[in-house]
Amino acid sequence: MRAEARFFKSLSDETRLKILWLLSGTEELCVCDVISVLGITQSKASRHLRHLYHLGWVTDRRDGLWMIYRLAVTPNSPKEKLLNLLEEILAPQPEAQALRGHLARCLEAKQHSQCARRLKSSQKRSPQGSPET
Amino acid sequence: MKKEAQLFKSLADETRLKMLWLLMGREELCVCDIMGVLGTTQSKASRHLRYLYHLGWVTDRREGVWMNYRLSVAPGSPEDKQLKLLAEILSSRPEAQALRDRLEQWLAAKGQSKDGAAACQCS
Repeated sequence: MRAEARFFKSLSDETRLKILWLLSGTEELCVCDVISVLGITQSKASRHLRHLYHLGWVTDRRDGLWMIYRLAVTPNSPKEKLLNLLEEILAPQPEAQALRGHLARCLEAKQHSQCARRLKSSQKRSPQGSPET
Repeated sequence: MKKEAQLFKSLADETRLKMLWLLMGREELCVCDIMGVLGTTQSKASRHLRYLYHLGWVTDRREGVWMNYRLSVAPGSPEDKQLKLLAEILSSRPEAQALRDRLEQWLAAKGQSKDGAAACQCS
């Protein structure tokens, strides 16, 4: 029953819980989105996302320098049921709704101004790549 | 959202998960039953049960030197929903069924050795 304990452990950390909450409200998220919405360091965001990745909660996709994550939960699996439960518990909470609102504003601002991701990929495409130092 | 994380943390430990699973199958259990079935020390069993007690999963009742615990989860509460999900996941696991069987055997043996709950002198 260690696997089941580990399963519940995925949500036993406030940061991971918030990350899953954000992911279940949107199609995919860049590490940079998680960093700005939760106000945490890149190292902390990546560490928790890798944790979720290794437990099979999310899949990843590289886009330039950043990793993009999305939920990878099969319908009717225990994971999906746990996410549904999380949704049910968090949906009435102002704090959780505020977090999703924050994410929506963040994503919108990114689209209107310089998207961090596009900025990175255009830098990558430019002929003068930064020298390796 | 710290509270919710803590709620899920209750089930994030294998021993606590097993305890809740055993408690779900019975009305009340003595610390000595948990020790006997899970093969843990009294200190470990009591520590985890106190943890569950302080988070409101169980209530306690003293009987002589032993403490008895029972689930105290309000119907429809987040805790109740978590337990239902846990039961759903575990009911198909042979390991979980074996644990419940061991509990039944343990309780039957206890009932034969002395009468009723007074048989908790199982050191």
